[in-house]
Amino acid sequence: MRKEDVLQLPSMPLQSPTYPRGPFRFFNRKYLIVNYLTDPKAIREALPEPLEPDGNQVSVQWLDLPDGEGFGAYSAAAQVIPCTLKGEPCNFISQMYVNNTSPLAGGREIWGYPMKFGHASLITHGDTLTGSLEYASQITAQGTMTYKHQVHPEIAHRENLLLARKQVTLKIIPGIDGTPEIAQLIGITFENVTVEGAWIGNARLDLTPSVNCTLADLPVHQVTGGVHLVTSMTLPYGHLLHDYLA
Amino acid sequence: MNIDQILKLPSMPAACPSYPLGPYRFINREYMIITYETDHDLLRAAVPEPLVPNAEGHVLYEWIRMPDSSGFGDYTESGIVIPCTFEGEVVNYTAQMYLDDEPPISAGREIWGFPKKYAFPKLSVNSDTLTGTLNYAGELVAMGTMAYKHQASPGGLEAMNKAMTKTSCVLKVIPNFDGKPKICQLVAFNLTDISIKGSWISPARLQLIPHVNAPVADLPIKKVIGGKHYIGDLTLPHGRVLFDFVKDQKP
Repeated sequence: MRKEDVLQLPSMPLQSPTYPRGPFRFFNRKYLIVNYLTDPKAIREALPEPLEPDGNQVSVQWLDLPDGEGFGAYSAAAQVIPCTLKGEPCNFISQMYVNNTSPLAGGREIWGYPMKFGHASLITHGDTLTGSLEYASQITAQGTMTYKHQVHPEIAHRENLLLARKQVTLKIIPGIDGTPEIAQLIGITFENVTVEGAWIGNARLDLTPSVNCTLADLPVHQVTGGVHLVTSMTLPYGHLLHDYLA
Repeated sequence: MNIDQILKLPSMPAACPSYPLGPYRFINREYMIITYETDHDLLRAAVPEPLVPNAEGHVLYEWIRMPDSSGFGDYTESGIVIPCTFEGEVVNYTAQMYLDDEPPISAGREIWGFPKKYAFPKLSVNSDTLTGTLNYAGELVAMGTMAYKHQASPGGLEAMNKAMTKTSCVLKVIPNFDGKPKICQLVAFNLTDISIKGSWISPARLQLIPHVNAPVADLPIKKVIGGKHYIGDLTLPHGRVLFDFVKDQKP
């Protein structure tokens, strides 16, 4: 391959790039979001400065992504910490687990989504919307929610459910000598969001301590409720919010 | 989490980094490598300039069993290595790699630029046959076989120890958050503290099946040259930049 063509590669490997260029459109993307109250000290430790905590509520979320451009079909689980950056409300994505390398490598390498390989699933079992996460052969999280018991009260402004807070990630990529080469806070704002359905309901959440999948490090003090969303949206490239090496 | 803690993070996520800082020590790393001859033009297209592929058209198809790897755990890998030269120095260019463990995939891609994807390789002794298989996205894409420990390799352990010190080379591509190229480098490294415990050669056969996302068959097999089987301990250190496509390339 000619030198000038190498710079056109969207990703490694040269012979079959793991992910193409963005943006990436997702169809029929489903969420189970279980909101809960946790320990404010643990939130402060988990948030990289200059992000500031915004209350004691965090969430564990399950995503079913059956049709993602460039990525295919997969499932994900994530921990999300509401916070502020210079007063602007944001959602810091602190951990994510997926079962597909294209979004895993693309997520880490483009935006700094903190993805590891785990087996998440989001399915409707009988009357129960059920999210589970298995990491290194052990169940580390299980969330359950009543199935479409109550339409979300914000249904008139449903798109705001995904757009009200910008997503923030901490992108860390080492250099070849082991010193940091990229250390940035990246902001991501979804585009062309359509929320096809939104519901709230009772929920329960169980997190199991595991050293390489540390969702339980933000312990569940009290579950405040569940949100169930069915959406289509576009994941665009990100923008720089803070550069730790600048 | 403050700025000092952030800059000391070895990797994402901050809450439970995928991999620690290197170097990485491997105990009882077991290799099966099948050398074959392929098409010269296709080989040239698969290798990024300024690397020059070997004149013989040789390709190494490999399976590696890694039961005990510091920072990474227990996993298996399969992939394609192409002997090349860089400014006259012989190097081994790693073109494709498939493995079943996320921390070495993320570390491999993010530190060195190993072109790694998640798949299910297997290296096992099935009765009298050393057998490697690779399954990608549910389908078999490669199967290699060697006769089991028929002949010690020429030159013995000492020659194999020396061969393992050869420079390895990969193409590291990491995009910027806006999709533009950020890191685009040819990277080199040399294994250290190598201790080979056994090394054998034998006849071999190899089957590669066309697959769009695991294109191991894109360098077709014209002739299988033979197989190598060896086991040993070694250390994978950080590396150095050989060529930077963003900084060194003249318009």
